Amino acid sequence: MRGKGIHTNDPHIQALARIVGGEKSILYKKEDLLAYDCDGFTVHRHLPKAVVFPKNTEEVAAIVKYCHEHDLPFLARGAGTGLSGGAIPLNGEVIISLVRMKRLISVDLENRRAVVEPGFVNLKLTNSISDRGYYYAPDPSSQYCCTIGGNVAENAGGAHCLKYGVTTNHILGLEVVLPNGEIVEIGENGIPDPPGYDLLGLLTGSEGTLGIVTKITVRILKNPEAKQTVLAYFDRVADASQAVSDIISAGMVPAALEMMDQTAIEAVEAAAFPVGHPKDIEALLLIEVDGISAGIAEQIEAILHICRQRNVREVKVAQNEQERARWWANRKTGFGAMGAISPDYLVQDGVIPRSKLPEVLQQIQQISQKYGLRIANIFHAGDGNLHPLVLFDAEKPGETEKALAAGSECLQACAAVGGSITGEHGVGIEKKEEMRFIFNDEEIIAQTNIRDVFNPKNLLNAGKLFPTPGRCVEVKKG
Amino acid sequence: MSLRESDIKQGPVCTPGSLGNYLWNDLPDPNKWADCVHCGMCLESCPTYEQTGQEQHSPRGRVHLMKSVAEGKLEINEDFIDPIFACLDCRACTTACPADVDVGGLIEEVRGQIRQAIPLTGWKAFVSKFFLQGVFPHPTRLHALGNLLKLYQKSGLQKLARKTKLIHIMPQHLADMEAILPEISEPVRKKYKHVNVIKAKGETKHTVALLTGCVMDVMFSDINEATIRVLTRNGNDVVIPQNQTCCGALHVHAGDRETGRELAKQNIEAFQHVDRVIVNAAGCGCMLKEYPELFRNDPVWHEKAEEFSRKVEDISKYLYDTGYEIPKAQLNTRITYHDACHLAHGQGIRQEPRAILSSIPGVEMVYMPNADRCCGSAGIYNITHPEMAGAVLKSKMENVPEDVELISMGNPGCMLQMAMGVLKHGRNQKVVHTVQLLDWAYQKEEGKEDRT
Ligand SMILES: Cc1cc2nc3c(=O)[nH]c(=O)nc-3n(C[C@H](O)[C@H](O)[C@H](O)COP(=O)(O)OP(=O)(O)OC[C@H]3O[C@@H](n4cnc5c(N)ncnc54)[C@H](O)[C@@H]3O)c2cc1C
Ligand code: SF4
Ligand code: SF4
Repeated sequence: MRGKGIHTNDPHIQALARIVGGEKSILYKKEDLLAYDCDGFTVHRHLPKAVVFPKNTEEVAAIVKYCHEHDLPFLARGAGTGLSGGAIPLNGEVIISLVRMKRLISVDLENRRAVVEPGFVNLKLTNSISDRGYYYAPDPSSQYCCTIGGNVAENAGGAHCLKYGVTTNHILGLEVVLPNGEIVEIGENGIPDPPGYDLLGLLTGSEGTLGIVTKITVRILKNPEAKQTVLAYFDRVADASQAVSDIISAGMVPAALEMMDQTAIEAVEAAAFPVGHPKDIEALLLIEVDGISAGIAEQIEAILHICRQRNVREVKVAQNEQERARWWANRKTGFGAMGAISPDYLVQDGVIPRSKLPEVLQQIQQISQKYGLRIANIFHAGDGNLHPLVLFDAEKPGETEKALAAGSECLQACAAVGGSITGEHGVGIEKKEEMRFIFNDEEIIAQTNIRDVFNPKNLLNAGKLFPTPGRCVEVKKG
Repeated sequence: MSLRESDIKQGPVCTPGSLGNYLWNDLPDPNKWADCVHCGMCLESCPTYEQTGQEQHSPRGRVHLMKSVAEGKLEINEDFIDPIFACLDCRACTTACPADVDVGGLIEEVRGQIRQAIPLTGWKAFVSKFFLQGVFPHPTRLHALGNLLKLYQKSGLQKLARKTKLIHIMPQHLADMEAILPEISEPVRKKYKHVNVIKAKGETKHTVALLTGCVMDVMFSDINEATIRVLTRNGNDVVIPQNQTCCGALHVHAGDRETGRELAKQNIEAFQHVDRVIVNAAGCGCMLKEYPELFRNDPVWHEKAEEFSRKVEDISKYLYDTGYEIPKAQLNTRITYHDACHLAHGQGIRQEPRAILSSIPGVEMVYMPNADRCCGSAGIYNITHPEMAGAVLKSKMENVPEDVELISMGNPGCMLQMAMGVLKHGRNQKVVHTVQLLDWAYQKEEGKEDRT
């Protein structure tokens, strides 16, 4: 590949290139930068000033320091699978890509923890320790590609977070480069719950606005002794929702409890990993229970019983690991599968109390009709985390705006029943205005004040997470 | 902020017969990039992204760039060409992509545009002209080249070259190639020139035609011989149409779709009177199955190509599907299997060759992690991008288990590259084609000499 020196007079590019060791670790030409103009959220696009590829924490710190001193906006990027635009360089940022920092630094089975660099891909952690009987629990559907650094920033969740919790429940320590270039360690030695403020909790889910994570100590778990997976087809969404409620009210905590509606089923069946789901059902449930062997069979029996009581059309238990893997591949590639039935999609990420499921799904249906856009639903039903996928065609004039408005209305519906506007995908650019559905101006200012302590010049990932001041400033004055 | 705002100016409005800045014949198919939802699920499957970590060298990035040219945001220039030609065309992203985006197909179409927009210059033009147009499509010239190689090996020149370190004068990647050149024997196309049908042993169950391949038949005629023996042993009459030619894959990969089409037409005609075309080179098989893609704008040939492509089958899948005799002799060897990209990702053939190998008595299959990861051969990629090919090969070799004797696969291009890997990384495996192993077992059973 090319490697012909730096061809620009821009002193910043030259200085950054020197920090990372030359032309193979920096991109600055339009043709290359274009690949970084958005992440998994494609509605907004901006070119970065440059993309740099540091090899270690010291290089990250030096880049950040340089940007800080020269007032250059900058942000971190992992695999760019984020769905809310967190890694989009709105202000022509210098993108610090962490993907070359992808080492598994150490595994400590005795204390059940592992230390990784931020660019280490989520699934690789489980793959590296599974032969010794361990795994890393947070399993976002993007786990084949997304980085653990990105997971920390977004506090990523996944199908199995119903029982095991989201990323924040599995982070024991972080090394962070602060926006002025200073390197700090938080939660040193992985001692749980140290005295003082819970900085780990604050940093996890801060969407890359408080610092750049350069090393992560995570909790790893012992593989469950046994696992069983159930697939249930329902003629009516209401019955499927009711079955979800019944399972939880019966006191069971399945490892995963996922739902897909008819449009979603149409997409996954048209895409790369079809299972053969019937196309005329309104909803399917994918349920997994795990734990010690004793008791699994009873739980499965109870779940089958509940499904039948709720008029299930067909329900089956995975007969072997291949079948189980096929069901999960079908579910986990669900978002991308939308490409098979629609040119573009916008995925929303609302959370609602479980009991409101049928009601909110009904409203989403109405929103879909109102805008004349199809909306597919794939979601973590167990914890009420909805993912309405608004299908649209950006090439058609006005359709992107319609999709955004429809998405926003879905979130409003969630907020209105006492829910939230994001379960796991973050706020980013996408939902910053919707933050007003759940926070008033004072609450927003209280939070931006915290950001300013870490990020006083607001050079790091500016314009994300909180609505643009405007109204807030007025409140401040008043 | 306005939506879809971009820092890049909008390009010219499309004129009929063009698509943004794609101005040449045989335009890329916009439906292919329309399927991409930019989810990034393909990133980790891509060997060039693995090596560089740079998204313009990832499937998602490439699709985005190719689409941007159609939107008029980018022009076809050197900086655009780089990521497009650095793609190995390994199709791993096609397997990974939930939306079934045909990245490989798009890359080939866009390379077609690039080669019309900016013809090659310098030594790359020379290599491309000499091999792609001057040699591969012409069996006699290829055979002549083969004879030259044979002479080179037989005359002692090869030994001399190695001894006197003459090969150190060659560019490193050519010297590497030289070191692993197989023994050249007589091409089967020449050998069976006057034989209409090579008869099945025993009762004839099917009649099949064999694609002998161009380089394949010169460098690896022993694999073609093995294929013929395995086919006839299993009740197949084998015909070798003499007017068949190179499949055109290398041309299409390089963006020379026009020559690709000419070769395709010749092959479609050469095989028109047979019902089955058996291929033992994954790259060629994949190309033959994709002939219809070359004729998207030519309904008459498109239909012929469709009909033709349905007749094509890889040798391993053919044997597996039609049934083959399990050999009785024991081979007593530990092997591992490498998925050729154009077999696994290109044709979806993964289990059949493994099943055949495991069915041979005394063959112990050892699992290779990431078996379907590209080896870096990718046609002439290892000549045009030696540095990347070397890095990809290194990752591949790290996955080859230590304690095996043989590495089996279904593509001659991979065999050369893997043999180079064995040599360069100080390993001691031998590289074999899946049918060769089956053939050895049959031969041993028949009491013929063992392979050693
Ligand atoms: C098909 C698909 C399915 C998905 N499924 C799920 C799911 O089930 N659950 C879920 O939670 N999410 C899901 N996501 C969203 C996404 O994968 C997650 O948010 C993931 O954590 C992002 O990781 P990344 O490496 O791609 O980060 P990026 O997209 O590169 O970055 C995301 C944010 O993190 C910041 N960041 C990245 N690295 C660092 C770092 N080292 N230090 C500080 N900040 C950093 C960036 O600035 C940005 O704001 C899905 C996405 C896709 C495309
Ligand atoms: S090519 Fe497929 S996997 Fe890759 S970004 Fe596009 S839709 Fe996703
Ligand atoms: S064909 Fe191979 S090298 Fe090319 S983009 Fe796809 S995965 Fe990468």
